[in-house]
Amino acid sequence: MNTLWIVILATVVIYAAYNFYAKRIDRDIIKADPKKATPAKMYMDGVDFMPTSRNVLYGYHFKSIAAAGPIVGPITAANIWGWAPALLWLLIGVSFIGWVSDYTAIMVAVRNDGNSLSAISHKLIAPRTRSILFVFIFFYLLLVAGAFMGIMSALMAARPDVPFGILMLGIMGFLAGQMLYKWKMDLIVVTAIVVVVTIAAMVFGPFGATVNPETKAMQWQGPINGAVVAFNGAVNKITGGNAVMTVYDPTNADPRIPAPGADGKRPSTAVYDAETGAIKTMPAYLFWALFILAFSYLAATLPIWRFAQPVNYIGFWITLITIGLSALGAVLAPILGTTAVNAAGETVKVADFALKPLITWGFAYDPTKAWQPLWPMLFVTIACGSISGWHALIGSIGTARQLEYETDGLPVGGGAMFTENTLGLLSLVAVSIVGTGGGAGRFAAGVGTLLTVLFGPGFKTFGTALGFGAFMVIVLTVTQLIFRVMRVTLSEWVGEAVPAFKNMHISTITSMVLTMLLVLTGTWVYLWQLFGAANQLMAALSLLIVTVWLREQKKNPSFALWPTVFMYVTTLAATLVTARNLYATIVPKGGAAAAGAWAMIVIAILLFVTALVIGWDGYNAYQRYAKGGTTQKAPAAAD
Amino acid sequence: MTEEQKKSFWQNMKEILYGMASHDMSRYALRTRASMEHLFILITMGDMIGIPILPPYYSLRLLPYVVPQISTWKRRLLREKDVSDAMF
Repeated sequence: MNTLWIVILATVVIYAAYNFYAKRIDRDIIKADPKKATPAKMYMDGVDFMPTSRNVLYGYHFKSIAAAGPIVGPITAANIWGWAPALLWLLIGVSFIGWVSDYTAIMVAVRNDGNSLSAISHKLIAPRTRSILFVFIFFYLLLVAGAFMGIMSALMAARPDVPFGILMLGIMGFLAGQMLYKWKMDLIVVTAIVVVVTIAAMVFGPFGATVNPETKAMQWQGPINGAVVAFNGAVNKITGGNAVMTVYDPTNADPRIPAPGADGKRPSTAVYDAETGAIKTMPAYLFWALFILAFSYLAATLPIWRFAQPVNYIGFWITLITIGLSALGAVLAPILGTTAVNAAGETVKVADFALKPLITWGFAYDPTKAWQPLWPMLFVTIACGSISGWHALIGSIGTARQLEYETDGLPVGGGAMFTENTLGLLSLVAVSIVGTGGGAGRFAAGVGTLLTVLFGPGFKTFGTALGFGAFMVIVLTVTQLIFRVMRVTLSEWVGEAVPAFKNMHISTITSMVLTMLLVLTGTWVYLWQLFGAANQLMAALSLLIVTVWLREQKKNPSFALWPTVFMYVTTLAATLVTARNLYATIVPKGGAAAAGAWAMIVIAILLFVTALVIGWDGYNAYQRYAKGGTTQKAPAAAD
Repeated sequence: MTEEQKKSFWQNMKEILYGMASHDMSRYALRTRASMEHLFILITMGDMIGIPILPPYYSLRLLPYVVPQISTWKRRLLREKDVSDAMF
C-alpha cells in the first residue's frame, strides 16, 4: 500500500458517499427547500442569527470542527490495531454516520427555530434530558481537556524543539491582538509578521545541532534546543532527578513511552522504566503542564480579542501551511518516487507504508491485562474524522443560525465533515509511512518525511520540528477554548447554587484543578478512549434527537436510526471496557495511579448512567411519536 | 475556464479562507457591539416607555439611534437560552 492508493480510494468513496447517498437523503427525506425561511432570516439580529454565504459558513464550520481529534485518533488506532481497520472505519464511518451527524444536527436546529440540541431534546424527548445533557457535556469537556493536557505536557517535556515555538506563539498572540485592535494595523501585514516569526521559531529549534559523523550521536543540540534541554535539567534537579510520582500505561500509548528498538523491545529512558513499565512524572513535566495551564488561563479569562482569538488565528495559518504542504507531499511522493533513509538505515520509498495493515484484532482476553478488542474500542479511539459529537454541538448552535438557505446545509455540514475526514486520512498516511515511533512523534516524523518530498532530505529535521509544532498548536488552541467553555458551563451550571462559581477566575481555576488531577494521576490512553466514548456518545445522543424528530415529522428515520443504534451500543460498551481496563490494570498498582483510575471509573459510570437515562427517554419518545403522539408543551424560559 | 468562472472560483476560495480564518473573530466583534448597544438601550429605556430619566435634550438626541435597534434587541433579549447557547 502507498499514499497514492489512499488518495484514489478516499476520492472515490467520498465522491460516491456525497453524491449518491448524502444528496439523496437531503433531497428525498429532509427535503431541503431553498424557498423556506431559515432562522437566520426569520430571527436575524445581526449577531447570532445572520444569513451568511455558504462558502464562508463551510470554512467556519470546518475550522470549528477540525482539531486534534482527527490527528491523534487515527495515530493511536493505527498503533494498536494497524492501519487497515483505521482506514476502513474512517471511510465507512464518515460515509454512513459522520456526515449524517453533522448535517442533521444543523438541519434539525434549522427546522426548530435555531434552538440548541438541548432545547430541542427538552421539547421532543423529556424536560430532564436537557439537564442531564449539561452534566454530560461538562464531564465530556473535562475528559477532552485531560486527554489534550496529558499529551501536550509530555511533548513539551520530551521534545526540546517544541517549547520555544509555543512560547513565541503566545508572545505573537499578544502582539497580534495589540497590532490589530489597538494599533489598527493592516491585517495582511500583521498576519505576515506573526505567522512568519512563529513558524521560524518552530522550525529552527534544531538549528545549529551537530552530530558525530561516525557514531551519529548528538554532540550539541544547538542554541535553542540546547537551552531548553539545560532548562529542563535544571528544573529536574529540584527533586535531585527523582520522579514526583509514577503512573502506568499497560497499552504503551503514553507519549512518554519510547518506541521499540530494532530488537522489538522498548528501551528504558530518563522517564520510563522498561522493567516495571513505570512512567516517571518529572518536575519538568509538571512545569510544562503548569505552563500550558497558564497559557490557557490567559485565554480563558482575558478578553477574547486580547489573546485567545489572535492565538487561534496564528494557529490556523500554521496548521493550514503544515497540513497543506504535507498533503501536497503525500500526493507527489508516489508520483516522483521520492526515497528516504528510515530509522533502520535502509533506503525506502517515502510513499510506501511501513506500518502493518493489521497488528491485532485485540479480542484475546487476559484478566490481568488491558483489553483492546477492535469492537468497540476502535470506534471510540477514532472519533473525529469518522463521527463526532462536538460537531453536532457546534453545528446546532453556531452554524445552523447562520444558514442562508436550507439547501446550504449539506455542502456546509456534510462537506466540512468529509473534508475533516481527509485530515484524518492524512494523519493515517503520515503515521503509516513512518512505521515506528509513538503518538504525536509518528505524526511529526510523517510530516517531516512528506516535507522532504518538497524541500529535499536536508529538511527532515526541521520538517519534523514543524510537525511537532503544528500538532501542539492544533491541540493547544482547542484546549484553551475548552477551558473557556468549561468556565462558562460551570458558572452557568453551578453558579445559581454556589454564587462563587459566577466568578470567572474561580470557575476557570476549578476546571483546571480537576483537569490536572486527571492528568497527573490518570493513564493517557484510557483518558483518550474515555473522551472518545463521551464524544461518540454525544454524537449518538445527537443522532437520537434527530431520529426522534424524524419520527415526529413522519419522515423515514432509517438513515439516522441505524447509526444511532450502532453508535449508542458501541460507545456504551466501550465505556464499560475502559472502566474494566482501569480496574484491572491500574487500580492494582495502588497509590496516586489507583486514585486517578477510580476517578475515571466514576466518570465512566456517570456517563454510562446519563446516556442510559437519555436513551430510555429517547426510546419512549420515539414510541410515542410512532403512535401518533405530539411534542411536549413549550418549555418555560427559566427552566 | 472562462474569466467569469475564474473570478467566481477565486471569490469562493477567498470566502472559504475568510470563513476559516476570520469569521469567528467578526462574529465576536459583532457580539461585543450588540452587548454595548443593549446597555445603551437600557439607558434610554425610561424615555421609551414614557418615564423621563435622562434630561429630555439627551433623550431627543439618543432616541433616533436606539429605535431602529429595538426589534433585534427584543429578539436577542427574549429568546430562550440555556448553557449551550453560552458555549460558542
